[in-house]
This record gives sequence, C-alpha cells and structure tokens, in this order.
Amino acid sequence: MLPRPPADDPTLGTAPAPSGVRLEPFEVFRQEREGEPMRHGGSVVAPDPTLALHYARELYARRGESLRLWVVRRGDIVEVDDQDLLNPPFDRSYKKPGGYVMRDKLADARARTGASKRAASTGRRRATGAPDAGQPG
Amino acid sequence: MTAAGPAHPIVEAGLERSLAELLLALADDDFVLGFADSEWTGIAPHLEEDVAMSSLAQDELAHAAAWYGLLAQLTGGDADRVAYDRPSTAVRHSRLVDHGRGDWARTMTRRWLYDTANAVRIEGLASSTCRPLADIAVKVRREEAYHLAHGQAWVERLAQAGGESRRRLDDALALVGPDAPSVLAPLESEAALQAAGILPTGSAELLERWTARVEPVLGRIGLGLPPAAPAALDPAMARSGHGPDFEALWAELTSVRRLDPEAAW
Repeated sequence: MLPRPPADDPTLGTAPAPSGVRLEPFEVFRQEREGEPMRHGGSVVAPDPTLALHYARELYARRGESLRLWVVRRGDIVEVDDQDLLNPPFDRSYKKPGGYVMRDKLADARARTGASKRAASTGRRRATGAPDAGQPG
Repeated sequence: MTAAGPAHPIVEAGLERSLAELLLALADDDFVLGFADSEWTGIAPHLEEDVAMSSLAQDELAHAAAWYGLLAQLTGGDADRVAYDRPSTAVRHSRLVDHGRGDWARTMTRRWLYDTANAVRIEGLASSTCRPLADIAVKVRREEAYHLAHGQAWVERLAQAGGESRRRLDDALALVGPDAPSVLAPLESEAALQAAGILPTGSAELLERWTARVEPVLGRIGLGLPPAAPAALDPAMARSGHGPDFEALWAELTSVRRLDPEAAW
C-alpha cells in the first residue's frame, strides 16, 4: 500500500517552491533484471514529468542498478484504502486454503512428470516473472 | 610500458602532438566544467536537483578521465599527472567553461550551451580515423544526449517562468553566450588533424551545425544567440587567458593533490 498523504502536505514539497513553482510527488518503480516485476523504489518531487524522469534516473539508476523505470504522478494513482472494502468485518477463513493439503497431490504430479522437488519449486517461482521460464530441463 | 608506446600505435607517427592538442581540449573542458558544476552539491535549488546535478558533474569527470586516459597512453604519461599537475596557464579549457558557476541560471545556461556544442563536436568525432578516439566519442555521446535534455528543460523553464527567473536567464545568456563558440573554435593543429581524418569535420562546419540547433530552441522561448566574442573564435585565445574565477577554481581543485602529489589513493 502506498503511503498517501493529503495532496497539499507541505512536508512532501507540494508547497510552492521559492520561485512559486509547485513541486509534486512522483512515484518511481524500478526493474532490476529482465523478467523481474517492477517494484516500488521510492518517490521524487519535481515540477513536471520531464524533470521527474531526470530525477528518477539520478536517484534510482545512476549506479546502473535499474534496467527500467516507471515514473508515475502520485495524483494519477487510483488508491483503495477503504477498510469496508478490503477488510470487511465477517469471518473470511472459508476463503483461505487452510485445511486443504496439497502435499500428496504435488508429490503425485512430480512423480508423473519426473520433476524434482527443487526444480519444480524453482520453476514455479520463476513463472511469476518470466512466462517461458517455468519448464526446467 | 616503455617510451616506445603500445604495439598498435594510437596514431601514425608525426601526428602525436596534434592528437594530444585535441585530446587535451576535450579532456580539460569536461574536467573544468565537471568541477565547477560540482560546487552545487549541497546548495542546489532542491534535493532532487542537488543529487541530479552532482551526478551530472561526476559524469563529466568520467568523460574527462576517458580522454586523459587516452592522452596518457599516447604520451606514455599518467592520467592523474596530466589532469592535476599542470600550472593553471597550461589548462586548455575553452572560454565558455572559464566563467565561474555564478547563479543557478548561469550554471544551467552555460551547461546547456556546452552540452549542445559538445554534442556537435562528439558526433563529428564518432567517425574519426583514430579508432580509440572514436570509441570514446560514441560512448560519451550516449550519455550526453541525456545531459542535454536536462539542461534544455531548465533553460526553457527559466525562460517561461518570467520575473526574476527570466531576468537571471537573460543576464546569464548575455554573459556566457558570446563565449559559447569557443568550445568549437579551431585548434592550432586543425588542418593536420583534418587531413588525417582524425577530425572528420572542421570547426566552421561544426559551428554552423551548432548554431542551427541552438537558435530554434532559443527562438521558441523568445531569446536569441548573442554574437560570438572575437576571442571565442580566435585559435590563439579561445583556450587561453584564463580569468580569476578559474584561477580560484583551479587552486581549490588541485589543493589536495598538491599536499602530496605522490600519495597513493
């Protein structure tokens, strides 16, 4: 969940700069390696998207640590933090997988495909980022 | 390495001094500008710009290190010695870079004028017959495109903000604009370098290209390029006769080195 201070929070630089130009926050997402998901890296304040991009590059990529950046005006992010929507008051345990034991089914599946436990689990993890990395060997 | 030089000479015999003049001009421009701009560390207009400006200044020093490194290979010397151990009068940076950083408007105006001129110069060198020189030019060009966009964004915003921003921009352009062509002024060895294809494009052509690129940008924001100062185009003056701002900068940037030139870092 992104922290979302009010749009006029002066601690985030949205107060007028000395020249009268308004700085606003932009959120920066970065990808470290090809195939990995974009992860939130942090934020910058800038007067406009062009300079936000320059600042994002210097703060989150100047040491060669990012392959790709997404720079998003914070005001353009659709936020949901209504707890009536996200954490309604009734019991939700019936939607959780507790009590549903996968161990034997997984072992059967591995035996059928000849995959080792290690390879199968590695493949599963990779598959979230790179669609073609899920078939070891 | 002995004085005989590398197995594959960087340049054919007889052209070493000419190539050295070109390399020193390239290196000293980046070195002096990088140091001058690094003075904004801690005092730039806001935090993000502070980080960005410091990083851009470091990039210039990296470019300078590449040029000094090639020069050191050519002459059998050491890049640090070339960079730091000369008297200030032997530093061959251009008049544009000789100005002090001044206020933020002057720094950004000078930076943009330098980046546009340097881009034209570097693009010309990408097809140099001196392969190691061309290789560095191609790499520098990739990074300079981004520097140029940063400087231009600032010049445009200062112009469009009006008021004090605009006044400071006008003053900056009036002060440093006439010296901008000094970056592209002919070197004394230009004819020899051109004949050998080391310098594929002469300074007159480079100046035309630069003007064609800069004038439309200035025109869109209601500004014009001031006429060149005579000294900025004079091969004997474009890179000599340094002023007090530079003398102070040079004294500071060499001060640690002078404490112990032989220290190992």
